[in-house]
Amino acid sequence: MNLEGLNNFFQNNAIYIVMIIVLIVWIGIFLYMLTLDKRLKSIEKELIGDKNEK
Amino acid sequence: MIWKILLFILLVFVSIAGIAFPIVEKPSTWYEFPLIPGLEENAKIIFFHVPTAWLLVIAFLMSTIYSFRYLRSKNLDEDAKAYSAAQLGMVFSILATVTGAVWAKFAWGQFWSWDPRQTSIFAILLIYGALFALRSSIESEDKRATLSAVYSLIAFVTVPFFIFIMPRIMKGLHPGSADDTNSGPVVDFQMNSSMQLIFFLSLIGFTILYLWMWRVGYRSIIIRDKLNKQQIRG
Repeated sequence: MNLEGLNNFFQNNAIYIVMIIVLIVWIGIFLYMLTLDKRLKSIEKELIGDKNEK
Repeated sequence: MIWKILLFILLVFVSIAGIAFPIVEKPSTWYEFPLIPGLEENAKIIFFHVPTAWLLVIAFLMSTIYSFRYLRSKNLDEDAKAYSAAQLGMVFSILATVTGAVWAKFAWGQFWSWDPRQTSIFAILLIYGALFALRSSIESEDKRATLSAVYSLIAFVTVPFFIFIMPRIMKGLHPGSADDTNSGPVVDFQMNSSMQLIFFLSLIGFTILYLWMWRVGYRSIIIRDKLNKQQIRG
């Protein structure tokens, strides 16, 4: 691949690359929060179940 | 849940619009931002820098409120809420410092210049850093909760001074300093209405994200404590 062309592409579209990185970071945080929330809910359910058994 | 999807879409929109909308001298359509003299392209970081600074105040305020409630009720759940808010406040202070330093590199020429604003955030980082040192040094749960609640009540007294007063009465580079010609709060920053809209959407989105993180944070602390107690009893 033409290295100069690639360089030019990155230089001209730097702001879009920043945007894509920010979006990837945000999607990562969001998915992490979703899975954390789900796991917490299942643990909370288990704990309540334990209490009822006793 | 619907609000999670809405939050996701909101922050995706803020990221796309806030970063990719072009900055032109005379905006003619809604998706163009005005050129702010002295800031130019790097004005866009305002959509991420200001919400972090706003959230650090909210987080420390909530930490103080729940510390106060702990002292009145002696309920350890309140302490978990205060601790989770303080943790997030610390995270957002670090983010505000880092985004501020990056912005300073391009607007003022260097990452760190001991501007009153930078000095005051440094002091806040130290004051709240001590809170975590205090918490980790005490074994007994009740004692730890009481001491850190009292400490965080005292620590919050300094926050309005460092965030709202000192950087405004001293001369400096940050907008809102005493010798700033467009002085005043952030928004009379020569923004146009579409820039203000995205700015406020960003504030709302980040605040909802903070509340979500805070809820997950304190629930996990409460669960951890419960499981620890069960283990000891078992």
